[in-house]
Amino acid sequence: MMALTLFLIITLTFFLMHAIPGGPFTSEKMLAPEIEAALNAKYGLDKPIWQQYLSYLQGILTFDLGPSFKYPGVRVNDLIREGLPVTAQTGFLAMLCVVALGIPLGIVAALNQNKWQDTTIMAVATMGVAIPSYVLATIALYLFALQWNLVPTFGLDDWRGYILPVAALSGFWLSFIARLSRSSLLEVLGQDYMVTARAKGLHPQTILFKHGMRNALIPIVTVLGPVVANLLTGSFVIEQIFALPGIGRHFVLSISNRDYTTIMGITIFYAAFLMLMILIVDLLYMVLDPRIKLAEKS
Amino acid sequence: MDQHKMTIPADKWAPIDRGAQDAEFIAAPSLTYWQDVRQRLWRNRPAMASLAFIIFLILAAIFGPMMTHHTYYDQDLKLSNIPPIFEVYQTSPEDGEPQYVFLNSGNFKLYEVNEGGEILGLLRAKRKDLMKKQHIYAFGEEELRVDYSQLPATLVDGDGNPATSLGLKWNQTNWFGTDSLGRDVLVRQLYGARISLTVAFVAALVNFFIGVFYGGVAGYFGGNVDNVMMRIVEIISTIPLTLYVILMMVVFQSGFLSIIIAIGSVFWVDMARIVRGQMLSLKNQDYVAAAKTMGASTKRILTRHLLPNTMGPILVTLTLLIPSAIFIESFMSFIGLGVSVPMASWGTLTAEAVETLRAYPHQLFFPAAAISLTMFAFNFLGDGLRDALDPRLRK
Repeated sequence: MMALTLFLIITLTFFLMHAIPGGPFTSEKMLAPEIEAALNAKYGLDKPIWQQYLSYLQGILTFDLGPSFKYPGVRVNDLIREGLPVTAQTGFLAMLCVVALGIPLGIVAALNQNKWQDTTIMAVATMGVAIPSYVLATIALYLFALQWNLVPTFGLDDWRGYILPVAALSGFWLSFIARLSRSSLLEVLGQDYMVTARAKGLHPQTILFKHGMRNALIPIVTVLGPVVANLLTGSFVIEQIFALPGIGRHFVLSISNRDYTTIMGITIFYAAFLMLMILIVDLLYMVLDPRIKLAEKS
Repeated sequence: MDQHKMTIPADKWAPIDRGAQDAEFIAAPSLTYWQDVRQRLWRNRPAMASLAFIIFLILAAIFGPMMTHHTYYDQDLKLSNIPPIFEVYQTSPEDGEPQYVFLNSGNFKLYEVNEGGEILGLLRAKRKDLMKKQHIYAFGEEELRVDYSQLPATLVDGDGNPATSLGLKWNQTNWFGTDSLGRDVLVRQLYGARISLTVAFVAALVNFFIGVFYGGVAGYFGGNVDNVMMRIVEIISTIPLTLYVILMMVVFQSGFLSIIIAIGSVFWVDMARIVRGQMLSLKNQDYVAAAKTMGASTKRILTRHLLPNTMGPILVTLTLLIPSAIFIESFMSFIGLGVSVPMASWGTLTAEAVETLRAYPHQLFFPAAAISLTMFAFNFLGDGLRDALDPRLRK
């Protein structure tokens, strides 16, 4: 199933990119026709499209995403390898923030329903959901980096450089998860088995974590897959605003450069990565809820 | 017992209050589901405030640009980067009318204004003292100097004393100031609102038609049809929508129409899923079986019986998808894939403001506030609608 999806995505991206009028070497600078023909021959663009497609597929099977059209001598693999550590670091930290802060905040809000803790957390979370990440990022950049000089404006040279990008990247999903865990836990708290657990005289913490959270986590885990996806796409602007040399930045640059192989390669890389994440989420599901079996799904 | 009862004096007995019988009486008129929803929504303050804001925004976006002589593309480089609020200074010549000026501390230029705050033009410096970091302006006999040896720049008179300030004035020519090319920010904001609202409207419309149709067909027919259709949806939703929209924008070249095509062509997936889920649970209800028994056609069952009952979740999904469509558009514009220049969208306005963030931080304020408030409004409205449509919350 996943291989099929990935194959369809590759095919779709390939033909979309080749449907664009004008080759990759058509630019303002008029190239001599011989040079253009030579370039086309070098990158295999003179062959019929199905042959290009087959050789591209063949490349992907051996984890080779082909050369970049805009940077001579650079391969898409190099761009990804170069950008991945940066994107992975910020993305992982942001994910950590989302899970390690969002869920506890939601629990605190749910346990103190309609008290000041709940109102404050929900007010902040509503703001976090409404303000777009790039707005949050620029305002934070202006206040903390330009006005008060608390953190560097760009780069990841020391730990303070991570604060703003990670905060801006995780802001929306942190708020979203906090809201979701609050409502999910509130629903679970109202269930009969929670009353039963209390009636049995179980320790309140056992009730909350073993009976309450385990059930409340199911809808949260469902969105974690998409969260990873959105942290990835969110990194496009965040990396641009804070000038971080990650994959997102390469992707945006390749779009404005019309570097089709890079666009294609990074898209496919993202898709493969996401499918891996979705698989992990599915496995997590089974751990949380033994009633769910993967075999039944398919 | 009987004897005991007889001992109660007769005057202690009184007829029962008739009011108790009224408890059975239904005082409030019975409400249909939608009347109930409307009432609950009406009582939800944040949702109503949001609705009012959205209506105001729509009116402003439609009529605002007609009411001003500014256009979104007219440039005036002499009057660039003017702030919306400035401090007005008065010159005091010995003879004749006093002149009013203000200093743009971002570019150290002096502009002439009238008393009300309308901008008359850029003043030319008599000479520039680069050693002392001063620009010297002459007003008849009098001199005013822009001193930028220390930031922020200040306005001093010939002897170095601070000039007479008349306090802060609101810019009457360009209410929101001008951008780096001297274009009126307010009008560009309103055009940005037009684009965002159009995107929202189109996304909602496309969502509604494609999503409801697709989900409805898949859910109603079930079986293999459902299997195949949902597989397609699953494949589409594996890639994040943002990535799709970016690919589309690359293929179609950036521009307003491409944004609409891109958003319209992938955004219906969530809607289709929700409608399908609803359909699956509703189609086995007895009233559908009853309608079938009476010989109603598939079309009639779908449009008359099933669709009205899925309307609630559809509406909520719509109001919550609108902010994400608006966000995607501004996100695209922000990374340079959105509307093409000189068109303005909230995303491009924010991106332009980021470029001049150091010198003119106020330029970030209006687009950031506009997009955030709009997202707030649609989110609150969606939340309010969801609460109003949920009969479990009925009091």
